[in-house]
Amino acid sequence: MENRNFHQTWFLTRFSLKRDWLKLTLWSVTLIVLFAAVAAKFTTIYDTQASIDEIVKTLKSPSMISLFGKLSGSTPYTTADVFAGEMTVFMAMIAAIMNFSIIIKNTRGEEDSGLLEIIQSHSVGKLSNLASSLIELFVINLLIGLFYALGLQFANLTGTDTNGNFLLGLGLGAAGFMFAAIAAFLAQLVDNSRSATILSYIVFGIMYIARMSTDVSNPKATWFIPFGWVEKFSTYQKNNWLPVLLMMSLSLILSVAALWINDHRDIGSGIIATRPGRAKASAFLRGPLSLFWRLHRTTIIVWVIGLLILGFTYGSIFNTIGDILKTNPAMEKLIGATAVHKANILIIKHFVAILMIVFGVLALFPGIQIINYLKSGESKGYLELIHSKPVSREYLFTSVLVLGILTSLAALFAGMLGLQLGGASVMKHPIALSVFLHGFYAYISPVLVILALSACTVGWLPKFAVFGYLYTGFALFVGYFGKLIDLPKWIAKFTPFGYVPNVPVSKIDLGTMWWQLGIALALIIVGYIGYHIRDLKSAN
Amino acid sequence: MMNQNNSAILHVDHLQKNFGKLQALKNVTFDVYPGEVFGFIGPNGAGKSTTIRTLLGILRASGGTATLFGKDVYKDSVSIHKHLAYVPGDVYLWPNLTGGEIIDLFLKLGNTKHNRKTDMMIDRFKLDPTKKARTYSKGNRQKVALIAAFSTDADFYIFDEPTSGLDPLNEEIFQQSVMELKKEGKAVLLSSHILSEVEKMCDRIGIIRSGEIVETGSLSDMRHLTRTVIEFQTMQLTPELQTLQGVHNVTVGTNGLTTFSVDSDQMSYVMSYLASKQIVSLQSTPPTLEDLFMRYYNSNEGR
Repeated sequence: MENRNFHQTWFLTRFSLKRDWLKLTLWSVTLIVLFAAVAAKFTTIYDTQASIDEIVKTLKSPSMISLFGKLSGSTPYTTADVFAGEMTVFMAMIAAIMNFSIIIKNTRGEEDSGLLEIIQSHSVGKLSNLASSLIELFVINLLIGLFYALGLQFANLTGTDTNGNFLLGLGLGAAGFMFAAIAAFLAQLVDNSRSATILSYIVFGIMYIARMSTDVSNPKATWFIPFGWVEKFSTYQKNNWLPVLLMMSLSLILSVAALWINDHRDIGSGIIATRPGRAKASAFLRGPLSLFWRLHRTTIIVWVIGLLILGFTYGSIFNTIGDILKTNPAMEKLIGATAVHKANILIIKHFVAILMIVFGVLALFPGIQIINYLKSGESKGYLELIHSKPVSREYLFTSVLVLGILTSLAALFAGMLGLQLGGASVMKHPIALSVFLHGFYAYISPVLVILALSACTVGWLPKFAVFGYLYTGFALFVGYFGKLIDLPKWIAKFTPFGYVPNVPVSKIDLGTMWWQLGIALALIIVGYIGYHIRDLKSAN
Repeated sequence: MMNQNNSAILHVDHLQKNFGKLQALKNVTFDVYPGEVFGFIGPNGAGKSTTIRTLLGILRASGGTATLFGKDVYKDSVSIHKHLAYVPGDVYLWPNLTGGEIIDLFLKLGNTKHNRKTDMMIDRFKLDPTKKARTYSKGNRQKVALIAAFSTDADFYIFDEPTSGLDPLNEEIFQQSVMELKKEGKAVLLSSHILSEVEKMCDRIGIIRSGEIVETGSLSDMRHLTRTVIEFQTMQLTPELQTLQGVHNVTVGTNGLTTFSVDSDQMSYVMSYLASKQIVSLQSTPPTLEDLFMRYYNSNEGR
């Protein structure tokens, strides 16, 4: 190590661990508790071979493979196999979110806010901040991985072994650090934290979709995708440590590359520089609504197109899912071609019904982000000058609300459209868009309830604006996971999604729709009042 | 100024603002009239920005009244803001928009458009409007807000420490532009720490301390409240000087010069005393705003 570049790295590492302790603790505890709780729960849900065989059948269907990755191993399956099959990809996804947000905040974010400049004016190496951030996340991911392993030892599922426990635990830790290294590298390419975050998620999205399609079509090709390595542990079967080695190697390469770029660039710059723009505003940029569109344009486009692609990817496996003849060739003779076709469509509808919650939740995120701009823009001081203009608070509130709602609905619609187009690209008799639109229509009301709840929070308690995300995350957990870990049914009733019928298998329930729209409207009105009478915060 | 009482553009009367238990504004009272620049000075945390944010309707007053153009600053904020321009002390701009786009947006939000004066101001302050706001320095961000404010045809202008990031050249341009507004009969509220700027530009001054306006008036009015420093030499000795009413801090220098400060209302009496001792040389320094400022801020200062 060159002292000039890495001077005070250890000091900065200790400092960032101290500064971030609450965030790190919350993330770690949430992840570990989630992991261990599910493990503990599994011993009671899957205690008989019959129940295991049942869930294995489900997990082997293409739809489940696309969601959770390919189940490794062979009969007889154990509880441990099922656990590894269900949890690996999911935990790696959450690890990506955690590592992206922390490393980008601590590197590019510090640079954006000017804090890094102050730090570097002291006797601190040029690369110390990046190096210490990487070390910080390495330590945290290692600790989380160890706790995962210990949790598994403690839960003592049928079919586990110590080697597998540590492989799964440390492997997930390694995956977390790999995501940190990926984001650290990407953050060096662009010149601000916002672009770094967007770029990281684009890369993540590409990897997720790529592993999904290779899992379904050609599992060997998944080896080419770093995100796919977590599926190759073969936990409790062959216990393959090679993927862990691969992940650590890639992390090392990317870390070194990031440090190299950091060493060769100026503070505040990136490989991809911000270009100059227009000297005058376009005729379009004229008020709060067009301003908010302009500010969130990239986010909106990324989410809408992302959901379209995600939908298309899921849709393109419809032919594999919706083909009962594959498993039961005698069926056609037995019930006739038309009946088979109907049955196939029903299977696809069931698949879409499981997916709906994923689309609903993903569509909510950009909408909540836009509505929360009333808080984030306010506390960063961006809105102070707007508040001094003849623009009423009601108008601002309406603007974010309208844009947020339109964005969420557009994203949800894009997902449905993607499903249809994806299906149409592989099926002889494509399913009509109207089938998917049933899902879309039914999900409008719960989506609006959550957006309205976010608006209400921003109106009254801007401090708790993050609540909207947490609640949405909870809805995803309950909807995506609830059935697998056998959560009690009443838990689902805590989110508006729990009241929506199983679309598109069932029909829309107009009654539910109306009362949910009513609640949404009431929340919006309450939010309006709060935003009208409260003090607005300032940056200083 | 007193005869203009009825035509005040801004009228603040016993304004109060509490944040929970903290009394940020206890009693703020002052008026601003057309065609004048009102200097608003006070130490950090005295309540300058809180007052301004209350006047903008961003914060809601806990007590007292504040009216702009005769309208309530909170209830009628939207119609008031049609005739108002504001530049905050810390200007935060959307990082991914250019300076030019932001200026135009602010103008459009104020129901005006990019005009001749906008181009003139961009030229005057030498701003590159094609750069993204994230690449601007603090001074350049302030320029963006200043250009937008100066090219708005408002009746009331609020500047909250607007020159803290500007270089002396741009500070000069700022002062020149404010003087132009004054000539056009506009009212300006200028909060500043740069006392020379306030002394140069402001017709009247309000001093705020711990959420209270402790003094308002023109600089010359205020000078009566304070002391003039006098340095002199006389033929005869002046042993009685120290005992005279209103005389403070007498010090005899080695060069034969004596220095003391005197309350303004005792000035003529002290002068005639000195004259009787045959003055050789005399130099008087009027109190600067800085002296005033220090006197109000250091509450422990012995008078």
